[in-house]
Amino acid sequence: MTTSTLRWTLVAVVAVIALAGGIYFGQERATPPKVGPAQPAAAAAIANLALPDPQGKEQRLDQWRGKVLVVNFWATWCAPCREEMPEFMKAQKEFGDKGLQFVGIAVDQADKVQQYVTEIGLNYPALIGGFGAMELSKTLGNELMALPFTVVLDRNGSVAYTQLGVLKPDKLASLIKSLL
Amino acid sequence: MSSGSLPKPNRARRELLLALAALGAGVGAARADPRLLPPEQAFRFSARALDERTLEARFAVEDGYYLYRDKMAFFLDPKAADVAALTLPAGKVKEDPFFGKVETYRGEVVVKVPLAASVGGRSIVLVADSQGCADAGVCYPAYRQKVTLAVPAAGQGPGPLVDAFPRKKKWFN
Repeated sequence: MTTSTLRWTLVAVVAVIALAGGIYFGQERATPPKVGPAQPAAAAAIANLALPDPQGKEQRLDQWRGKVLVVNFWATWCAPCREEMPEFMKAQKEFGDKGLQFVGIAVDQADKVQQYVTEIGLNYPALIGGFGAMELSKTLGNELMALPFTVVLDRNGSVAYTQLGVLKPDKLASLIKSLL
Repeated sequence: MSSGSLPKPNRARRELLLALAALGAGVGAARADPRLLPPEQAFRFSARALDERTLEARFAVEDGYYLYRDKMAFFLDPKAADVAALTLPAGKVKEDPFFGKVETYRGEVVVKVPLAASVGGRSIVLVADSQGCADAGVCYPAYRQKVTLAVPAAGQGPGPLVDAFPRKKKWFN
């Protein structure tokens, strides 16, 4: 290999990596607002997460291993979060026995979460997450640690999709269709 | 992929430029969504001392964002003085299906922060807690910002406005 060939190979490799990155992130950006790439380590961290439910009982997220898991970071004080939850409840009802599981991680106080869960009759678990849960969402691309933020894990526990802001019903439907 | 016709220095430069351009494209696309501002930019906090026992806190709320009135709080840290009874300006009333009547602020919010004791001639840190959302459909968790103010001595005029996060200088304006 001559020096010139070597140099061009290097240029080509850098270009391909950069382009791939550009295309990858470009696609991610097509779903506004954009979030960054999902980290496999963060996916593992989600699986290993154990958070209290509003009654204070610790719930491990790996109890739903093997299912398509939709982890939704939300809060009662977040109006857009509350707007999308009825859609999640509908999907949970329709596809729950086919292996779809929603889990809400509320960045909120347990009593407020319990009150809201009762009020709307939430049909999937709501766990209480503190700052640590938000930090975890940050490693999954939620750099602003804003809400709602939703992570969809496939049956193998890999991150299939992340969404900052409301997860649109048609996007949710297509994710369910492709992952279940 | 032949570049034999170019003299060597030019060829090297072209390769470097190509690689840089490709990298630039990738990195540029990877940047966070410019449409969503970090909270310190969406809700710019600034303050000044009006006199030795009255501060003025300001939030410059960017277009497309709003703050919740009932999530706004101010205190001094270290506690040079207590914040006396605070009168927050009236916000825009929104009917929330869960919380009922909710007041929000847009644009410029100016809050008078009266102190229970004089802090004239001292350096104090005013802490502001706020929480807001973007119309784009996301909410930020409660956010804390601080400014350090040199409070004028009694009888002297108001101090200068201090930004919690000064605007970055731009190249073209």
